[in-house]
Amino acid sequence: MARKIVKSRYYGDEGLIETMAEVPVDKLKAWGPDAELKVVGKPVSRLDGYEKVTGKAAFTFDVSLPRMTYAKILRSMVPHAKIRSIDTSEAEDLPGVLKILTHKNCPVIPWHWGTTVLFDTEVRYQGDEVACVVAESMQIAEDALSLIKVDYEILPFVSDPSEAMKAEAPKVHAWGNIIDGKPSLYSRGDVEKGFQDSDVIFEDTYSTQVVVHNPTEAHCSVVSWDGDKLTVWDSTQALFGVRDAIAKSLSMPASKVRVIKKFMGGGFGGKLEAGKYSVIAALISKEIGRPVRIALDRKEMNLSVGNRPDSVQKLKAGAKKDGTLLALSHYSFGNVGAYPNDADCSWPLRTLYKCPNVRTEEYSVLTNLGRARAYRAPGHVQGTFAFESMMDDLAEKLGLDPLELRRKNYTEIDPVSNRPYTSKLILDAYQKGSEAIGWKEKRKPAGSEKGRFRRGIGMASQIWWGGGGPPAYATIKLNEDASLHVMAGTQDLGTGTYTFLAQIASEVLELPIEKIQVTIGDTETCPYCSLSGGSMTAPSVSPAVRDASEQMKRKLISAAGAILETSESNVKYSAGKMSRLDDPAKIISISEVIEKLDEKMIVTTGAREANPEGYEINTFGAQFAEVEVDTDTGKVRVIKVVAAHDIGRVLNQKTLFNQLHGGIIQGIGYALMEERVVDTYTGKVLTTNIHDYKIPTIMETPQIEVIIVSSGDLLISNTGVKGVGEPAIIPTAAAIANAVYNATGVRIKSLPITADKVLMALSEKN
Amino acid sequence: MKNFNYIQPKSLKEASDILKKKPHEAMLYAGGTDALGLMKQDIIKPEEVVNLKSVPGLNYISYTNGKGLRIGALTELAEIAENPVISEKYPILRHAALAVASPQLRNLGTIAGNLCQRPRCWYYREEFNCLRKGGDMCYAFDGQNKYHCVIGGGPCFIVHPSDLAVVLLALDAKLTVFGDRKTRTVQLKDFFVSPGDDYQHENNLKAGEIITEIQIPELPQDAKSAFVKFRERGVWDFAVVSVGAVIRKEGSKVISGKLAFGGVAPIPWMDESLNAKLPGVALSEEPVAQLVSEILKKAEPLSKNAYKVPLVRNLTKRLLLEL
Ligand SMILES: Cc1cc2nc3c(=O)[nH]c(=O)nc-3n(C[C@H](O)[C@H](O)[C@H](O)COP(=O)(O)OP(=O)(O)OC[C@H]3O[C@@H](n4cnc5c(N)ncnc54)[C@H](O)[C@@H]3O)c2cc1C
Ligand code: SF4
Repeated sequence: MARKIVKSRYYGDEGLIETMAEVPVDKLKAWGPDAELKVVGKPVSRLDGYEKVTGKAAFTFDVSLPRMTYAKILRSMVPHAKIRSIDTSEAEDLPGVLKILTHKNCPVIPWHWGTTVLFDTEVRYQGDEVACVVAESMQIAEDALSLIKVDYEILPFVSDPSEAMKAEAPKVHAWGNIIDGKPSLYSRGDVEKGFQDSDVIFEDTYSTQVVVHNPTEAHCSVVSWDGDKLTVWDSTQALFGVRDAIAKSLSMPASKVRVIKKFMGGGFGGKLEAGKYSVIAALISKEIGRPVRIALDRKEMNLSVGNRPDSVQKLKAGAKKDGTLLALSHYSFGNVGAYPNDADCSWPLRTLYKCPNVRTEEYSVLTNLGRARAYRAPGHVQGTFAFESMMDDLAEKLGLDPLELRRKNYTEIDPVSNRPYTSKLILDAYQKGSEAIGWKEKRKPAGSEKGRFRRGIGMASQIWWGGGGPPAYATIKLNEDASLHVMAGTQDLGTGTYTFLAQIASEVLELPIEKIQVTIGDTETCPYCSLSGGSMTAPSVSPAVRDASEQMKRKLISAAGAILETSESNVKYSAGKMSRLDDPAKIISISEVIEKLDEKMIVTTGAREANPEGYEINTFGAQFAEVEVDTDTGKVRVIKVVAAHDIGRVLNQKTLFNQLHGGIIQGIGYALMEERVVDTYTGKVLTTNIHDYKIPTIMETPQIEVIIVSSGDLLISNTGVKGVGEPAIIPTAAAIANAVYNATGVRIKSLPITADKVLMALSEKN
Repeated sequence: MKNFNYIQPKSLKEASDILKKKPHEAMLYAGGTDALGLMKQDIIKPEEVVNLKSVPGLNYISYTNGKGLRIGALTELAEIAENPVISEKYPILRHAALAVASPQLRNLGTIAGNLCQRPRCWYYREEFNCLRKGGDMCYAFDGQNKYHCVIGGGPCFIVHPSDLAVVLLALDAKLTVFGDRKTRTVQLKDFFVSPGDDYQHENNLKAGEIITEIQIPELPQDAKSAFVKFRERGVWDFAVVSVGAVIRKEGSKVISGKLAFGGVAPIPWMDESLNAKLPGVALSEEPVAQLVSEILKKAEPLSKNAYKVPLVRNLTKRLLLEL
């Protein structure tokens, strides 16, 4: 199939991505809203479900190789220090210890954009890497860690971002504590004038906490050398990213590094980057000539592999009496920890509603704590909590229904780029979502409930990117027995990639799913796909599989035409059989075609097409929460969440529900209980296990009703899919906060909304 | 975790002797749900782990009419929660057992282990060399003390984590303790130790002493009891505060009773002067509100836990009104 190279532009977890990408010249027609699909969109059970529920599925940690050894990292116990000296002699003498790597014997490998190296002589947070021991067993490696003596020259530290921003604060890096030394700024229109022209001004400060990804599966790599070739089994969201980072760190050709990831127990953005641990394990493995497994424990996961930065957000809004927004301003700062990342969170404020005058000023602040990373809808989750809380406050001040205020400021044009959206069905989400929660019938004026248990209803809007884009490729191989192999260099984070890729091929070629084998998660055998972040996997990869499948179908039709001695247009394809339209008795099967072709298999490779020029692609939605507040204790119970979203076409109803349920439960954790607690006196984290770091359980899980208001975006791709992973979590906390306000008349402006805060706020109010 | 010797004593005497001989190096191990965590985090590094479960005859629940209930030290919390006699005669105990941790932990954790579990203070559980671990300062006092005590603290400000201790206190339980080749009986209220007296131990067991039995007196026919545990998460969470009440009443008036509180003090908390005010109180809004305003009168909350005072009062009020 003819291809061309185009400029490709889309938003991912890391912000705007602009690349050149190879795309098909001819776009396949998208499945329309009334396309009668037999497999796509149906609640097909996960292909890997059996393996997972029986415990048969081998995750990275389960990879066990002959002569494998075990690595454990010694991490700094102090937030900031220079390493004067390290004495590993006693640890080396421990029987079973094979190798110890420290800054003294490790090559200088830059990390975090050159702001540090693999083993730095300065540690900048509790958890920074100091040494790594490889031993015959995990136990010996752990014992050896306690025998390493590190002499630290303790340096002053800072853990509070508002302190870190001050000129006299201890410096995390010599170049300062603010990323780029300045805020990131955005503005449109004339904000001052907008405020002057406003009838009503509302201003307040909202804040959010640091939360940690804490996926079920630990970060883990198993590495093994075969001559000059390195194989890395890794729990990652970015196969090729890991491959290239390791190849670069070890100065070896990327072709000699193979990264494999079959099953995964969650990542949420925390596994989008290559880990130092993978490179360390590869270095040691090469030296000792044996495979190495390195697995982080829960404490390391809570200290060292990322988190959602906190935020302090000062917001101001100006509106006309009728609710028309005239001006919005946003000032914020957030704690990105010890190495560069960003804490920006103003995108929802910039893009959710029509507003001519907007200004934002955001600081990403370094401190001596674990570094932030992308975490499921980075920025949008914090930003939506503050902005959508404020929209409710503003509605109250204007005497408007919160939904009305939002409808009033609806826009069909992206307010930043002034381009239209490929599709935007947020008004349908408002309508259907509000009906499902009982907005009109059940919702009472804020604080009007009496009695011990008070119920309230709140909502929040959602915007995110999630359209995906090229490059993404898929290869399919059709065998003589009409069994099919789908291969794509993408990954399944537990989200259902295996299953929906098979569904697409099954749909197009009308072959049973049982005959389809999907191979993903392997950089060596699969064609390139991008990382799995930014809700891009399904929207990027599904069209490539459809493209490959349609090419396969055309090939079969073409071959059948030749064999049946007729034109291609006279051949009908149905369930793996080709027949002449004018003479249906002349029929030939896939097996017969392939036999005649004298090939054992037919191979095609499809590509994701370009995104349409001149449009913005976004996902939209609204979530509605009903809560009950116990005024005796302050505890908030979420009773029901209605999630109404515009996410294009649904590929698989079951895995779609999984995504939404998971995102909402995680959002409830964010809203009500999760928080990384730091002892500011010592700069150390107090919540390094998942008992003290309170993740929600089934007891916190409310009734969840999912409403998909979209049926497929005809402009973006041949499958019309937008992503759902991140939309799922974005509005949850804001909807809950607004519901708490509606129930009690008390506005909790800082997350998490814990019982003590509510109880104290209630008693202050009375 | 440090390597250790695993010892399987056949008798209490054998177990006690080892513990006594090596008071610092040996540790008694029952269900292990707390002990193992402490070892894995290197908070304790025993050389000898003495498995109490190898001593026969410590797992039983026996009830004698007129005398009361006896529970063997090794009885698991799940068994207490499921026992029909306990459900009938001491529902408050069942309730407390069911409120502990998670089903998995209740299947393993024993009643004596629950009473002897170490504090959950996060400084204690993390790598802080605080007072209780032999260091020279309490990090919680000026630090993250949302979950710490509001009364009876200093120089250490833990709360006692046991849910069962709170109801056993209200039930007037006694412990039988074996040590030094003999047994002694101790009232539960005298078992726990305030940090003011000893900030490194939570109870007064001496080296080599082992709890063998918990005894709970017969409750009067007209006794009513209730327990409420407030936790931030619906399951698998310690009490922020808890209240146990055992009350005799006539009509709507209290004749006598006991209130015990968890999550407020370094020991399961009972205020005798408060309990002395119970007789005669009518269980209706006004008098109960009056009574609960007396709870924790002398509380001295830390920087982040003032909420515990209204919380405990609200919960107690509700508990009494619904009795
Ligand atoms: C994640 C988690 C959540 C929890 N949540 C709760 C909760 O919500 N509420 C609650 O009340 N508890 C809770 N616990 C504590 C749990 O109930 C206790 O760990 C358990 O009851 C201890 O019993 P065990 O038999 O496992 O004791 P072990 O762990 O074996 O021992 C605990 C301690 O008691 C000592 N000990 C044990 N038996 C005796 C004896 N007979 N005589 C003298 N000393 C003895 C041991 O030496 C050790 O120091 C939780 C624990 C965990 C790990
Ligand atoms: S409260 Fe007690 S256990 Fe906690 S830090 Fe203070 S001294 Fe240590």
